[in-house]
Formats: sequence, C-alpha cells, structure tokens
Amino acid sequence: MPRLSFAHGLGLAVIALAVLALILWVPQDTVSGYLLSKRGRVSIGDAMAPGLAFGLMALSGALIFLEARRAEAEIRLTARSIGFLLAILTICLLALGAMIWTGPLAVALFGGEGSYRNLRDTAPWKYLGFILGGTGLVAALIALVEHRLSLRAVGLGLVTVAVLIGVFDLAFDDLLLPPNGDQ
Amino acid sequence: MSEMLHYVWLGVLSVFQGPALLELGGIGLPLALVMLVAGLVTGIAVGATPGLAGPMAMAISLPLLISAFGFTPDALLPVFGFLIGIMKGATLGGAVPAILFNLPGTPDAMMTTLDGFPMAQAGQPRRALRIAQLSSVAGDTFSDIVLFICAPFLAVMVEAYLDLPEKTALLILSISFIAAVMGSSVGKGLLSVSLGLVVAFIAAGTDLSPRLTLGIDALQTGVPLIAAVLGVLIVGEIFATLERLWHDNHALDVKAASDGSAEDGLQPGDIRRIAPYVGRGAVIGAAIGALPGVGSTLAATLSYTMAARRARRNPAAQPFGTGAPEGIAATEAANSAVSGANLIPVLSLGIPGNAAAVFLILAADSIGGFNPGPAVFSMPEGAINPQLVTVFGIFTLMSVGNLLNWVVGGGVMRAMGVLAKIPATRLLPVVLLVSLTAIYVQETSMFAIWATLAFGVLGWAMRKLAVPVLPFVIAFILAGPIERSAREAFSASGADPWFLFSSPTSVILLLLAVVALIFLGREK
Repeated sequence: MPRLSFAHGLGLAVIALAVLALILWVPQDTVSGYLLSKRGRVSIGDAMAPGLAFGLMALSGALIFLEARRAEAEIRLTARSIGFLLAILTICLLALGAMIWTGPLAVALFGGEGSYRNLRDTAPWKYLGFILGGTGLVAALIALVEHRLSLRAVGLGLVTVAVLIGVFDLAFDDLLLPPNGDQ
Repeated sequence: MSEMLHYVWLGVLSVFQGPALLELGGIGLPLALVMLVAGLVTGIAVGATPGLAGPMAMAISLPLLISAFGFTPDALLPVFGFLIGIMKGATLGGAVPAILFNLPGTPDAMMTTLDGFPMAQAGQPRRALRIAQLSSVAGDTFSDIVLFICAPFLAVMVEAYLDLPEKTALLILSISFIAAVMGSSVGKGLLSVSLGLVVAFIAAGTDLSPRLTLGIDALQTGVPLIAAVLGVLIVGEIFATLERLWHDNHALDVKAASDGSAEDGLQPGDIRRIAPYVGRGAVIGAAIGALPGVGSTLAATLSYTMAARRARRNPAAQPFGTGAPEGIAATEAANSAVSGANLIPVLSLGIPGNAAAVFLILAADSIGGFNPGPAVFSMPEGAINPQLVTVFGIFTLMSVGNLLNWVVGGGVMRAMGVLAKIPATRLLPVVLLVSLTAIYVQETSMFAIWATLAFGVLGWAMRKLAVPVLPFVIAFILAGPIERSAREAFSASGADPWFLFSSPTSVILLLLAVVALIFLGREK
C-alpha cells in the first residue's frame, strides 16, 4: 500500500470535519431541522443550507484525497511556516492586549477618581492604548521580518498611528479608535 | 428606447450635478468626479507599489469612505467613484514596476515584465510605459463599452425568463464555475466554496434562535462581513507575503533598468504596430472577464501567448521577450479589458466575479439603496428607478475615468515609479494596522478585529495549502441569496423536492454546473 501523503491527510481531515459537523454540530445547533412543517405547510428548515454546505465540504475532501498525488507539490505548510504564524499571532495578541489595557491601566494609576469608560473620548487617555499597541504592532512585525529591531521601525509605527489618529479621530467626531468603542 | 436614453441622461446628470465639493465661480465641483480622480491616483500609486494591490486599497478605504459620506443615497456615487478609480488606476499602475524594475506591481502584470523590462533596459522606459498606458486604457475602454451594452440586456433577459428555481440554479452554476476555474484543483475550489457557505450560514437562518453559533454570544448576529472578506483576502495575503519576506528580505526588492535614452518615448509607427495586438487582447480580456472568477492573469497569459505565436510566424517581427512593443500591448490590453467586463455579472446578476467587484458589492451593501442584480435595470411605468440612475452614474464615472487615464494616466504612471522602491517589509505591517483600524472604526467592536485575524489565519492557511481564497469570499456573499431563492422556490412549488429540476432552463443550468466541475476542473 502506498504511503499516505500530506494531501491525502488533508482530504481525510476535511471529510472527517464535515461528517462530524453533519452528525453533531448541525443537528444540535439548529432549531428547525432540515424541513419544517407548520400548519400542514412544508418549508426548508435552518439546517438544510448548512447540511448541504457540509455535504459539499465532504465531497471536496474526497476529491482532494483523490487528487492528492498531483497536488502534492503545491502544499508548502512546514513547521517553520507554522512557527512564523505563531510568532505573528503572538505579536498581534500582545499589541492588541496593550491597545485594550493601556488606557484603563493608565486611568487607574493616574486618572484620579474617573473610570476609563468616562474618559474614553477624552485626550490623552483615548490615545494611549492605540499609540502603544499600534506602534508596537508595526515595529514588532518589521523587527520580526527584518530580523532586527530598529528605531526607524518604531518611528514608522508612531507616524502611522499619528496619521490614523488624524484621519479617523480628528477628522470625524463620531468615530472611535480601538479599543474605545468596546469600553 | 427613449426611456432608456432618459435614464442615461439622468445618470450623467447625477454625476455632474450631484453634490458638489466646492463652488468655483458659481460652478460646483462634482464630488463624485473629485473622488474618481482621487481614486485613480491612489489606484496607480497602489498598483505601482509591489506588495500592495487594488483590492487592498479598496478594503482600507471603504470604511473611511463610509464614515465620510454616511449611509445616504448621495454617498453612492462618490464612494463608487473612488473605488472605480482605484480599480482602473491599479490596473494601469501595475505595469510601472513591471517595466521599470522587472517586478509586477499586480499579478496580472507578470507578462508585462517579459518585454517591458527589456525595452526599459535598452534605454526606452518612457516608450514602454507609454505603450503600456495606451494599450491598457484601450483595453479598459473596450471592456467598459461591452459592459454598458451587455449588462442591461443580460439583466432584462434574466428578469424576463428566469423564475425562482432558475435563479437558484444560476447561482449554483456561478459558484460551481468559480470553484472549477480558480485554484489548482476542483476539490480545493469546492473546499473554499463550502467554507465560505458555512461561515455565511452562521446565525443567518430564519429561526428565532440563530443557528451554528456554538453558544458564542458574539456570533449571535453572525460573522461580520467585512471581517471575513478582509481577513481572508487582505490579512491572509499580508501574513503570507510577510512570511515570504521573513525567509528572504529581498524577495520584493527592485532592480532598476537604465535611464531613458535620447530616443525614448513613443516612436513613429508604434501605434499602427500595436493596434492589432491591442484589439485582439481587448477582445480576449473582455470575453474572459465576463465569466465570474476567471482572472486577468489568465487573460494576459492567453493574449501574450497568442500574440507571441503570431509573431513567430512572421520572420520580420521582433521576437517576443526582447522588448517587443507588441508583447507589452497584448498583455496590457488583455489584463485591463477584464475589469469592465468583470462587472457584467455584478451589475446584472449580483454575482461578483473578482475581488474588486466584491468591494463594490460591499460598498453597495453597507450604504444601502442599491442592490446589484436584475432589478436595478427595471423601468417601472410612471416612476423613476433610482437604482438605474445610479447604474448610469457608475457608467458615466467609468467613462470619465477612462478619459482621464488616456489624458493624464501616463504622467501619473511615470511619477509613481519611485513608489516601487518602498520596502515591503515596512509597508505591509503599516497596511495591517491601517486595515485593522479601518475595520474597527466601521464595526466599533474588538470582536471584529479578532475575527479578522482569525480569518487572516484561515486565508494564510488556504494560501499555504494552495486552496484558492476568492471562491470563499464569493460563496460567502452569495450564500444568502442562494438560500433565500431556494427557500422561496421550494415554497412556491408547493414543497416539491425536485423544484430545481422543474424547468428545462434550470436543468440546463445545473447540468452546466456539473459540466464545469468535471471538465474545467480537471487539469491545471
């Protein structure tokens, strides 16, 4: 028996995912089922469309499995690639975390009695998270890709953040920069 | 006919007599035109910058435009003006780095490098840019004329002859076709389509309790459209390109050609020399563009290959690949002729065929008051259909855009050459922050940002596994209309389970869908 390749595995995984969704997710997470009968009138229920979509997914998995040998050369998912993705996601997570928490933390430490919710549309509090998180995101991603941290990258992040504040916050009264709409 | 001409006139007036930016000597400067010019310049700049693309600029600018112009019908033409400007400008701008630096600004300009760069290296960069501009604008203009003629007729035919089952079958044919022709295999095309459908179906049913939410509160209103589309299309692309640059920092660096010589610029006889190639390229591009999902890269490749074959038969012709003007003309005419024809299925059927069309639909969907599809071309008796006026307003903007590209496009192209030198390693993180901020401003929710990043990971993974991303986006957009028309057709047929096979037309459309999947998806 020939060895199963990555593409074979992808095809099988897609089939397994689709079958699991058809057996577990669709029936348990829809109310009306595939067909709905109300006062003798039959109509299509909420499960029909997702059911067919997962059926199509299972079919696609079978086709990927059958086409596996031909498609093998195109798959470039390596451990190194996944490592890069994890690094990029960690940077995004930390930067967005800084964006969310810097403002409230600064208000708690230096804002006296007020809460961040009350100050979320007041300078400088409303900019703190965006400046730190946004600059950090740009600078860290540049550092990751260029394999070195440079002052120029930090400067570029600051300029980008300043332009975005000008374009969105200063130009429009009704727009809120992240994360102020959620606070 | 006179009624149609009346609508054409109203469309022209809606652009020139619409809201004005400011008044100069008592004459208003139409906002839609100003936005068109701004979009064109932005588009050429974006096309000229490796690592950026027209859809990326459209994605970033859409929330800004909506914030600036609001959700009123008056916002439609200025917003469409800017987006159409980007679409047209990016097609033109893609040739700039291809010719000057041997680096295509957009994927469809790849074939332009084959003759454009050698011509620039031979000391004639201005000549190459001028040939690219003339060919590109000629192809684009031809394509727009095809759109103006075909879209209304197609829409009227669909409205007159297709009932609910046939419309459902047509939508199924569209996504089957897209799954078959995009990407490396039909299995992966179908996987992309099915993922798009599943994500779109989350919380989109008719039950009081929303479906497929996994009990997550944030999913009770479904996946934000902008997060899914921008995540897969734009953030996924940013992640994938950043990874490429991480492996090789210089992957997108430019190699400059030599400076222009004294003999640079358009030569006598050039226009006569390239005209037949432009004509054939334009026809190939427009024909391919009218099919949803078949991109401009295929049109450019096909046109270039056919032109090269023709040149080989003529011993006196300059061989392709050595800086032949015919090579640049064949490529640029074909890839530009795709963009106008791509809007035929969008405007007449509401089916987006490419990424630019997706953003036009998103704009229409966000602003409201304009729903692309057969209904926009209806002419009710005794009343004016504002959607049809908007369509002719869009056509007017496209025509003015072509005129501007003819007149000033070349100058802007030359001026933008410097942008190709911006390192993508620094540009893309900036684009990511701008995209995430733009999404937040529109959705005002961190969930939208998390969702965008999650879809970015999906888009990155799809690219790594050679699964095409555009079928996902198109299926995501068409999922609602497919389900709605199927539900209505089923009810109207009295719950006939075979309602999709109730008429010869719908049977033919479904058979075509199967044929597309079997034959178009075989070998790539």
